[in-house]
Amino acid sequence: MKRIDVQNQPKLSSGRIFQIAVTGVKYRLFRAMVTVAVIVVAMAFLMNILTESLIKRAVADSVREQIEDLHRVDRWIARLSIPQSAEDILTQIAKAEWPSSYGEEISAMSGMSMDALKAMQPQAQEAVQYLRFFENLDYGRLRVLVGPVESTRIFERLQTERGWHQFSTSLADMRTVRLPLPLEQFQAFIEGWDQLDAFIDVVREGQTRAIEQVHEAIGDQPVVEALQDADGAFGQTIRAAGFALDPEEAASLVQEVRRMEQTLLIEGTINIHGVRQAVAAERDILPGDVTMPMIWRMVRSRDRAEWFLGVLQENQVDQGGLTPETLTMIARQRAHARLLAVAEQQTMEAGGGLMNIGTRMTWLAFVSMLVCAVGIANAMLMSVTERFREIATLKCLGALDAFIMTVFLIEAALLGLVGGLGGALAGFILAGTRMAVTFRSLLWQAFPWNEILVAGLLSIGVGMVLAAISAVYPSFRAARLAPMEAMRIE
Amino acid sequence: MTDTPAHMPLSEPEDVVSRRVIIRAVGMQKVYQRGEEITYALRSIDVEVYTGEFIVVMGPSGSGKSTFFNMIGALDSPSKGRVFIDEVDVAQLTAEELAFLRCRKIGYIFQSYNLIQYMTALENVTTPMAFGGVMPDEARKRGMDLLDLVGLSDRWFHRPIEMSGGQQQRVAIARALANQPSILLCDEPTANLDHHTGDEILAILQRLNKERGVTVICATHDHRMMNICDRLMWIRDGNIERIARRDEVEVEVGSIE
Repeated sequence: MKRIDVQNQPKLSSGRIFQIAVTGVKYRLFRAMVTVAVIVVAMAFLMNILTESLIKRAVADSVREQIEDLHRVDRWIARLSIPQSAEDILTQIAKAEWPSSYGEEISAMSGMSMDALKAMQPQAQEAVQYLRFFENLDYGRLRVLVGPVESTRIFERLQTERGWHQFSTSLADMRTVRLPLPLEQFQAFIEGWDQLDAFIDVVREGQTRAIEQVHEAIGDQPVVEALQDADGAFGQTIRAAGFALDPEEAASLVQEVRRMEQTLLIEGTINIHGVRQAVAAERDILPGDVTMPMIWRMVRSRDRAEWFLGVLQENQVDQGGLTPETLTMIARQRAHARLLAVAEQQTMEAGGGLMNIGTRMTWLAFVSMLVCAVGIANAMLMSVTERFREIATLKCLGALDAFIMTVFLIEAALLGLVGGLGGALAGFILAGTRMAVTFRSLLWQAFPWNEILVAGLLSIGVGMVLAAISAVYPSFRAARLAPMEAMRIE
Repeated sequence: MTDTPAHMPLSEPEDVVSRRVIIRAVGMQKVYQRGEEITYALRSIDVEVYTGEFIVVMGPSGSGKSTFFNMIGALDSPSKGRVFIDEVDVAQLTAEELAFLRCRKIGYIFQSYNLIQYMTALENVTTPMAFGGVMPDEARKRGMDLLDLVGLSDRWFHRPIEMSGGQQQRVAIARALANQPSILLCDEPTANLDHHTGDEILAILQRLNKERGVTVICATHDHRMMNICDRLMWIRDGNIERIARRDEVEVEVGSIE
């Protein structure tokens, strides 16, 4: 009879442990479907949020300029009609980079030197910081601090002794509210506000003068009509008044205005009986069912556009110099502009937070991860509990606690990997499809492949980590039990 | 059997001088507490098992038989008293040493086989070797020899679900023998098997006991076991009711059956 001295059980190599875990996972993968499904759903959710937000942001970045273009005419009409608000002036001065066309414009209109403008910049930047601060306060606090005033009026109010007293005492009580700069500096700024205010007034006076000058030149003609001549005499008038209008801008302005005119012309034709009837006959519907979007869709092809212009001619409608090519182009640009409008609306929240997807989305993702972690923990707990007998058997055969924990952690991580992969794919397909429907042609020019790849890896990683963390407690408990207790629990 | 005196002298094997004690339980007690309710699974057990013995433990279900088993197999710790395996106090061992003991010293055979479902027969047999630090090639060779011993070497690649109960139990026996244990603990090894298959398992156990000198301790309701054992032990209500050599009870067999 041989006799063995009791020693410490040797530890298995990590390669061997991994091998055993993989064998187990391969066999159990289908049984672990519930766990995997939970992880898939959770990670699909995360990936969906990430993908959508990343696409939105990429689209927003790529169309920002185009959206600016969309509003070019409106912007110029506004500039040529009223002087800027104090806040706008401060913001633009604050972010101006010298030499700045805005600076030149202000200087030409108000007669101030460029150096004087440059000297105002630090103060303007400070003012913008304070304005941001007040803007971000909730209404209740704002009301307590400065009463019912907004924007630069706040500074005026704080100049009064009562206003400042109310502000400084209330601010001391609000522990969570922090001024962007020290209070003393703010006080100094308020004392010097008169100077900045006077500067703004000078700027606005200059703008008012320039606007008057422009209006005198055009008389009763609406600004939008006058803008048709932005690359000609009217452009000269505008420049003479001091506005910074470069030839390129003028050219696109003219084009834009003309397109607006032509668009209006086409939109007006739906009210002409003959045109409506012709379109109805062509589409084989009742004249009452003809709509403007239908006509726009129709004239996107050159043949149809030619036909439509023919109809206009038959009905003796002025064609405003439209050729089939330009009509088709306008129709296409219109469709594009509508997409841009959708994009503008959809991408308003983009920026900030995790991977720049926006703070709101980050929170949403975070909270959903918490919920999913609970779901995964539950699934892992079940899967470990139903294997107590196996764990007990392994312990009878001489397995160490650490071995059992490691095997379960590896298994969980592998399930997380599979679930994460599936989830990332599902989330990507879902979000991609939705975004493709929303943004159509805008999507492909801006598709953020690299970032989405990172998001996918992130989802897979989160899935693995969540699954592993969720398996720690149950497997720790199972590993620590005496083998027979574990069997009894089952 | 009903009028067995409570304090009859313990029967010892005939050649007691030549044999060594391999398991000794002293005042072993196990109490389960659930809230206020206290259950005595074992009241006070003193027993000595000698090397190379084949002991059959009998008793109705709920008698504490399984608990007794787990105690002397170092699978559970007694509430009171001590268990020595090879003169080593089990309570003194660390978790690593316990694992070592379970791995090499004792082979376990369960009523429900408890094979690892995702492993093949061979992998099941070689797992305890892996835990014991045997290199994979060596383990595979030894595993095949053991499967050969139980007559299953041609089915080494089958998984438990692809095998009959008897085959699974034979794999379990091969696994229990993986690290050449000196003790084989069997908890109702034939309970889930038909008569013929049970006979095969018994034959294997008997052969191991006779040829390899493995100490076999077997809890069972199966009366066929009596024919191959050295000693019998009856447990009732957490106490050892009686221990007897086979030749002592053989005369009574008629009355038992």
